[in-house]
Amino acid sequence: MGEANRDAGAIYNYAHFDEYVANGGDTGDESAFWASPRAGQRAPDFTLLRLGDGADVALSDLWRSKPLVMEFGSFT
Amino acid sequence: MFIYTREAHPGENVPCHDSFERKLACAKLLREEAGIGRDILVDGLDGTVHRAYGLMPNMTWVIGRGGRVAYKANWTSAANVEAFQERFLAARAERPSRATPVMYETQQVEFRYPDRKRFAEHLLRNGPRAAAEFERAQQLWARRPAS
Repeated sequence: MGEANRDAGAIYNYAHFDEYVANGGDTGDESAFWASPRAGQRAPDFTLLRLGDGADVALSDLWRSKPLVMEFGSFT
Repeated sequence: MFIYTREAHPGENVPCHDSFERKLACAKLLREEAGIGRDILVDGLDGTVHRAYGLMPNMTWVIGRGGRVAYKANWTSAANVEAFQERFLAARAERPSRATPVMYETQQVEFRYPDRKRFAEHLLRNGPRAAAEFERAQQLWARRPAS
């Protein structure tokens, strides 16, 4: 991983929520949501690791034959 | 399907991810503690998928068969998602013969009523620091000019 990627990863995986808010990270996230694909547009496809069996799963395989509900989240 | 992202409120017990191995371990812990029965996919350490879909901490997207965005919400409401799915599927199933469907999109405001007690418990689960930092963030939000 290059230095720029490491920095981007550290900002993404912030350690302190209050500092993230103080630096405007949360407003940047809201902007990112509204800049993301609109309804009717093609959804971006990625391959992710599935917990449990460790399989690589392409999102496009999941929405190929039926609608796919994707909830994003963490502990909170 | 559930996509595990970064920790929105890292703390002493559930820290921010400094390696993919730690991210995997946190995802497994969440599956066990929250009893998530759906498939969980784990995003990369740098949040590639989370970034592409808009970085909000608890959002839901519905992708239609074939890969077009059918629904996106910057907060998850299970009831709202279910109601949408019923309308979406019914509209396709009830298509009058020889009619050509024309797609249009809507944007709506919805309201939610956070369960403050439950959220506070989740913050404390992540660690006392997570609760203290959220408290400070609330003070910062209160000082922000209204947009």
